Amino acid sequence: MRILSVVEESVVDGPGIRTVIFTAGCPHRCKGCHNPSSWNPAGGEEVEVEELVQRIKVSGWDGVTVSGGEPFLQSSALAELVMACKSLGKNVWVYTGYTLEQLEAMHDEAVQTVLDYADVLVDGRFEQSLRDMGLRFRGSSNQRIIFLNKV
Amino acid sequence: MKLLQLYEDVCVLPDQDLVQENANVDGKSPLGKLARLSSEVSKELSQTYLMSERSKQAVSENYLYVHDADYYITGSTTCCQIPLGQLLKYGFHTGHGTIRSPKDIRSAMALASIILQANQNMQHGGQAFPMFDVDLAPYVEKTYERQLSRLQSLPVDWDDAQLEQLAEEETISATYQACEAFIHNANSMHSRGGGQVPFVSINYGTDTSKWGRILIRELLRATERGLGNGETPIFPIQIFKVKEGINFHEDDPNVDLFREACRVTGKRLFPNFSFIDAPFNASYYDGMHESEVAYMGCRTRVMGNRHGEETSIGRGNLSFSTLNLVKMALVSESLTDFYRILNRYIDIGIEQLVERFDYQCTRRAEEFRFLYTQGVWRGSEQLHMQDEVRDVLKQGTLSLGFIGLAETLKVLTGSTHAESREAERIGLDIVTHLANRMRVAAEAHDLNFSLLATPAEGLSGKFVTRDQEEFGMIEGVTNRAFYTNSFHVPVYQSVSIREKVRIEAPYHALCDAGHISYVEVDGSLAHNAEAVESIVRLMRQHDIGYGSINHPVDRCGNCGLEGLIDAACPTCGEDEDIERIRRITGYLVGTMDRWNTAKREEERARVKHDAHSIRR
Ligand code: SF4
Repeated sequence: MRILSVVEESVVDGPGIRTVIFTAGCPHRCKGCHNPSSWNPAGGEEVEVEELVQRIKVSGWDGVTVSGGEPFLQSSALAELVMACKSLGKNVWVYTGYTLEQLEAMHDEAVQTVLDYADVLVDGRFEQSLRDMGLRFRGSSNQRIIFLNKV
Repeated sequence: MKLLQLYEDVCVLPDQDLVQENANVDGKSPLGKLARLSSEVSKELSQTYLMSERSKQAVSENYLYVHDADYYITGSTTCCQIPLGQLLKYGFHTGHGTIRSPKDIRSAMALASIILQANQNMQHGGQAFPMFDVDLAPYVEKTYERQLSRLQSLPVDWDDAQLEQLAEEETISATYQACEAFIHNANSMHSRGGGQVPFVSINYGTDTSKWGRILIRELLRATERGLGNGETPIFPIQIFKVKEGINFHEDDPNVDLFREACRVTGKRLFPNFSFIDAPFNASYYDGMHESEVAYMGCRTRVMGNRHGEETSIGRGNLSFSTLNLVKMALVSESLTDFYRILNRYIDIGIEQLVERFDYQCTRRAEEFRFLYTQGVWRGSEQLHMQDEVRDVLKQGTLSLGFIGLAETLKVLTGSTHAESREAERIGLDIVTHLANRMRVAAEAHDLNFSLLATPAEGLSGKFVTRDQEEFGMIEGVTNRAFYTNSFHVPVYQSVSIREKVRIEAPYHALCDAGHISYVEVDGSLAHNAEAVESIVRLMRQHDIGYGSINHPVDRCGNCGLEGLIDAACPTCGEDEDIERIRRITGYLVGTMDRWNTAKREEERARVKHDAHSIRR
């Protein structure tokens, strides 16, 4: 998986203290993007999913967030990562520039696996005109925090 | 004394560090200057007349620091956990007439402010209430009864349930207003030394009665709401007492209030959290509120007692002095040599504390009227105005503190306790040795000697500046404007939250005169109460005694946006009127121009637990 960075203990990418994995590459190119250096799909470095899982084990906190860039660019590695995290009993959030509907319309097996296993999807592009610093774990008000198939 | 020098330092070109030893005083104000002048003169007096040659030498050679030396000559003591409930119940005297027991929560909390103010000028340190909820709950109940009888007298047809509900609503809103007024008072009464707000701390969280719970909830609400324009209140320092079976587990009666406390900390940096279940605190706990440990906001803890009941209430620290461990390491040739030098200065430190104690004992009750004639200090009811205070002073603690364990280990082993297991072990050995020496001193002098993890905002810069002159700039030791507080992992070293808590926890058990661990978080916690709760639970798991979470709380003065603001407000673009609240020595400070160089540099050096590259 191509990874830009890993933040061991983040408090701003979902509830609690979370390990955050920033993936490389993003096709959305939102105006006002928090991290344009993430756009290049050849950026960052190649890391085995297994190595990421080890890092997550060591951190010891309950939450994992996959952010980007656009994590779904690498949907099969993402699916593998999300499943591994779930089997460790972690709570998993995935951020994406796509909407849930767009992801579902892809009819891609790996994408569907992510949606089946992740706890929360934060979806939608970042819209600068809808930017609101007061939002919980979101950048702009069009983005949604979607609790996937859970109670 | 060089009066002319003093004139130039204080009055001609006020130097930030000279006028700004203490972050809560405006050193440039007339009163700030006057305080500075009188403090220099009184220090000179005590050095000339009261201190022994050995103590003076240890101070002048930068091995020992005598805290609040400007108050030495007055014979004052440091601080006290005030028995608020008792004062409110029986009424008290502030000098002009008697104040009767209050009839409702508003007057009770107004009196609580007056008590703090009255006692502040008796002592030189902070003032605290050890069980704010328990002590005020009866007045919440009185408010309810008053409201109920008022409503009953109205010519309206209400049934009992309606009456009770209305009375309760009125009571809740009266309690909220009382809390709001108390917080406002705490941030605006410039009653300390004429120019400072008193250093006020309140402990609460364990009262499970209906009335106590209302008080805690409304206090948290008022704290969250902030001051008039929504500013973060700097005082009182709030300490939420965590206790398993009361507010920690899912079915505990006050777990909702614990969660609320976590949420409010995420927005306002308070409350901090103390842990009654930590073994060294649990050993005093007998199920009664009086046996719950209470902390002063800065970290001071008073529990063990050779001369009476083992409780925090009605007691406090008498005086404390701090050892410069770093210098001892710098002049020693080996670890053995370090211990030899350390022992020498522990001896001197003990002597100096006893010397000051003996002088404090010659003072008379009438010099500290409120403290000794109103039942504030434990045992003082037996004193007459003209009596020397010796017998009751024994209730207090004499504490020796230390600073710069991290830099000391760097000198002795080449790494800090966060960098190697070897240094970690030696660090614990050194502090265990200090704790043992205090135990022996307590036996030998039959006094409450204890070991303090010194809170040292002015001091951290003073020691290092003098050591730089003598030893030059040594990488990782003297090359910063500050030494690391007590046993803390340096703010400039990047360790995970878990590691920091794990490394610091064992020192809490050793430093019985007070300890605190801070966890630094790099993002705003305003929306993440879950993260606060996880950190507090981690602290509990590691037997931390007292902990606090630091995260940036910035507020745009123009549009009111709160959170982490870099250069300019991301919403409205304001780049000047930004309020930045940070924590120093356990106290919050609103604007950075009241910081001295050491503290500014420390803030700059703080490593938040930030992104690590993929492979470290
Ligand atoms: S989806 Fe995210 S990473 Fe991609 S351009 Fe938009 S804001 Fe930037």
